[in-house]
Amino acid sequence: MTAETKEIPASYATAKAFCLTSAFWMMVATFYGLLGATELIAPDLTANIGGIVFGRVRPTHINLVLFGFVTPGLLGAAFFFIPRLLGTPLYSERLGVFTALAWNAALVALVATLAMGLTQGREYAELIWPIDVAVVLVFALTFFNFTMTVARRQEKILYVSVWYVLAGCILTACTYALGNVIWRPNSGALVGIPDAILLWFYGHNVFGLLLTPLSAGVTYYVIPRATRAPLYSHTLSLLGFWSLIVVYTHIGTHHLLQVPVPTWLKVVAIVDSVAMVIPVMAFLINIWYTAKGKLGEIHADVGAKFVFTGTIMYFFVSIQGSFMALPDVQRVTHFNNWVVAHAHIGVLGFAGMIALGGIYFTIPKMTGRPLFSRFLADFQYWMVLIGMVGFTIVLTIAGLIQGNAWLNGETVYRVLPQIHVYYVTRAGLGLLIFTSALLGFYNIVRSLLPQRGAMP
Amino acid sequence: MKMTPLAVIVGSLLILATIVFVVVILPFAHTSKTVPSDIFRVRTAEESAGRATYIANGCVYCHSQSVRTIDWDLGAERIAQAGDYVADYPILLGSQRTGPDISQAGGEHPDDWHMAHFINPRYTRTLSLMPPFEFLGPAKLDNLIRYVQSLGFKDADKRMTRQRYWKAEAVKAYEAGPDANVAWLSAHIPQGWRDVPNPYPTSAAGLARGHKIYQDFCLGCHGPVGDGMGPAQQWIYPPPLNFTILKNREISGGILYYQIMNGITGTAMPYFKRDLESEKIWDVGNYVAVYFINDSDANTEPRGIDAAYEP
Ligand code: HEC
Ligand code: HEC
Ligand code: HEM
Repeated sequence: MTAETKEIPASYATAKAFCLTSAFWMMVATFYGLLGATELIAPDLTANIGGIVFGRVRPTHINLVLFGFVTPGLLGAAFFFIPRLLGTPLYSERLGVFTALAWNAALVALVATLAMGLTQGREYAELIWPIDVAVVLVFALTFFNFTMTVARRQEKILYVSVWYVLAGCILTACTYALGNVIWRPNSGALVGIPDAILLWFYGHNVFGLLLTPLSAGVTYYVIPRATRAPLYSHTLSLLGFWSLIVVYTHIGTHHLLQVPVPTWLKVVAIVDSVAMVIPVMAFLINIWYTAKGKLGEIHADVGAKFVFTGTIMYFFVSIQGSFMALPDVQRVTHFNNWVVAHAHIGVLGFAGMIALGGIYFTIPKMTGRPLFSRFLADFQYWMVLIGMVGFTIVLTIAGLIQGNAWLNGETVYRVLPQIHVYYVTRAGLGLLIFTSALLGFYNIVRSLLPQRGAMP
Repeated sequence: MKMTPLAVIVGSLLILATIVFVVVILPFAHTSKTVPSDIFRVRTAEESAGRATYIANGCVYCHSQSVRTIDWDLGAERIAQAGDYVADYPILLGSQRTGPDISQAGGEHPDDWHMAHFINPRYTRTLSLMPPFEFLGPAKLDNLIRYVQSLGFKDADKRMTRQRYWKAEAVKAYEAGPDANVAWLSAHIPQGWRDVPNPYPTSAAGLARGHKIYQDFCLGCHGPVGDGMGPAQQWIYPPPLNFTILKNREISGGILYYQIMNGITGTAMPYFKRDLESEKIWDVGNYVAVYFINDSDANTEPRGIDAAYEP
């Protein structure tokens, strides 16, 4: 199977709208991250400004990164490549643009409600009911648009990217509704331990059934295209796809290993977390063998470079994750900045990098012109990479200090001064990432606008 | 395998349904029957309102509510049980300990400590990075304090009863004037401790260490010059002790050590036995004695064999 694509007459309005959405919200999301990081080193700087108190900034940051920056970025690429892979225009560009607008409206509502303290208080499921409904709806609309495009396809065989995008959209619509307890509009929660189990089933699926499949879809498109090589193995594509859905969905309870939930469920979560090497390596081997000997081509395209780097981060975050699910490791790593480091390798290093790569790879093909500035895109690549790797280093160190000090009987308060310097460094690196988002937005806007003078 | 649209969509939905059954519905079947634990009780209206404020302000992103067997910090006396959460809607386990676990925080401090702490956490804990919550206003803060004081349910209630009893006693003693207050404070210290001088000689290095501890742990209440006029003072009653009144009132190194280690339940004076090890307590006690009371019994009789490090 190859990522053969066909030239089709299309405006790509939806794809462009999602790319813009992603680039815009990346600025806002990383700004919120920087704000939160600053508050952790200077808590009185924003004293008594209720709307931006740390406890409201943090969920805003997380939700915007997931639903404002990464997901729309991946979908932006998907709205471009799905029609091309199927040899038919998108079922409805109008519906697509409407979806993008509704998506942005939901994001604005997200920021406003969280700032007002309207939250359901469950991590990754904070949004209040009307926004929950909107989120499910936009995923359903996206899915509908893709499915109808599939139904009208000219190309018989469904390429692996299409599987991932279809599954990612429909499964997310389902688990989002389930995890947000959407049938209980007021609280959006179950009670007690069952609530924790459901929450983390869903919480983990945000990475496993949304970010990962969409990122895999983009990767399966970009890498074979950039290297002009056929995909290494159809069998591995199949194995990776089905095992991802089977294994990833089992492991949510690894967030609850130190909590009184049923032991058998913990065992399932641990065993399957280790078994995650199967979907992860099936995907990575497939991609890496496809790219084997062709790294020059990847290096030559800044979009492909982002994507390929993302696959390397996927390797690291997943291997690390499998270890973190072991109870002995988690004695040290749980509850502290180690987990924050892991989250950033995953969401920024893997899914975020691939989202940016998807955008930069597809925009020239949508517009028929080169990027406004390849240099800026490359510069952003390095800023994100340095920022993200730097985060990983300092937060992992901070996490180890915290975790080991606590095990040794030191109180949380005692350890605060020891991690201060790492928090300061983290804020500095955050500034780097935020700046890169500003440059990226400028570059993407200029690339999409009808061009006059282009930069190098 | 031929990947038709139907195979992809229906196949993945079927897998999801099966797995939801295994990892969500099956566990629900028995965890939803969890019986309340021995400490459980129902929350009052104020406590529930406070919990809503807790949720609205994202306290959960810095505070877990689940004590583990391996923990030493706040609440380590009681390991979390499933039956503690039967009324938690949603459950607020948390995933980060930027601050301590507060599932058992009820009754650890009296209400006035919490008020000063919420107005600005740096008032009671100089190095804290918790945000100030003065903007919530008195009504919401009152409810929030009721919620925090209920954490630990019946255990918290017992601790609160103790806090209230000793608060009344401490206020009475404070209002009776410095002589009576100091006499009352000392009277509750076991005789053995009262008779013990600070066993270690005063040294410049020791005072420097004591100074650092004082800055990091005591300053917000007792103030930079030890007169009890730190920024927390206006929220706390009885107010933080003015150390200068202790001169000529038979204060020994042992008394200072004991009070710092154990705290004075009922007053805002917290115990420091979890935060500070032995040497740090002796050092800060001597710092207070030398600089603020201006009278230290360090290294006087009765004393044992000199410690090996002494010059
Ligand atoms: C940025 C993270 C952060 C947020 C948000 C936060 N806290 Fe804290 N909290 C801390 C830290 C750090 C400490 C330890 C130092 C101290 O006592 O201030 C602490 C301490 C506490 C303590 C004292 C525990 C004890 O007995 O020693 C209580 C009670 C508390 N927080 C309640 C809250 C409540 C209620 C909220 C929400 C309104 C909240 N915190 C929000 C970080 C945070
Ligand atoms: C949250 C405020 C607060 C903090 C922080 C605090 N104290 Fe206190 N302290 C008090 C209060 C209140 C009293 C008792 C006042 C009373 O009952 O008159 C007190 C009493 C004392 C006493 C009792 C003296 C006696 O004669 O019995 C000592 C000693 C003391 N504090 C030392 C310290 C040291 C050392 C630290 C830092 C390690 C510290 N305190 C931190 C509020 C505080
Ligand atoms: C094999 C794959 C993976 C495994 C086994 C794994 C395992 C884990 C574990 C055990 C935790 C909980 C840590 C703790 O609280 O102690 C965790 C947290 C997290 N993981 Fe992963 N991980 C994997 C891949 C990923 C990927 C690919 C992403 C992102 C796309 C990701 C994002 C996160 C995030 C954001 C958290 C933090 C959750 C929180 O808020 O507490 N992980 N992971």
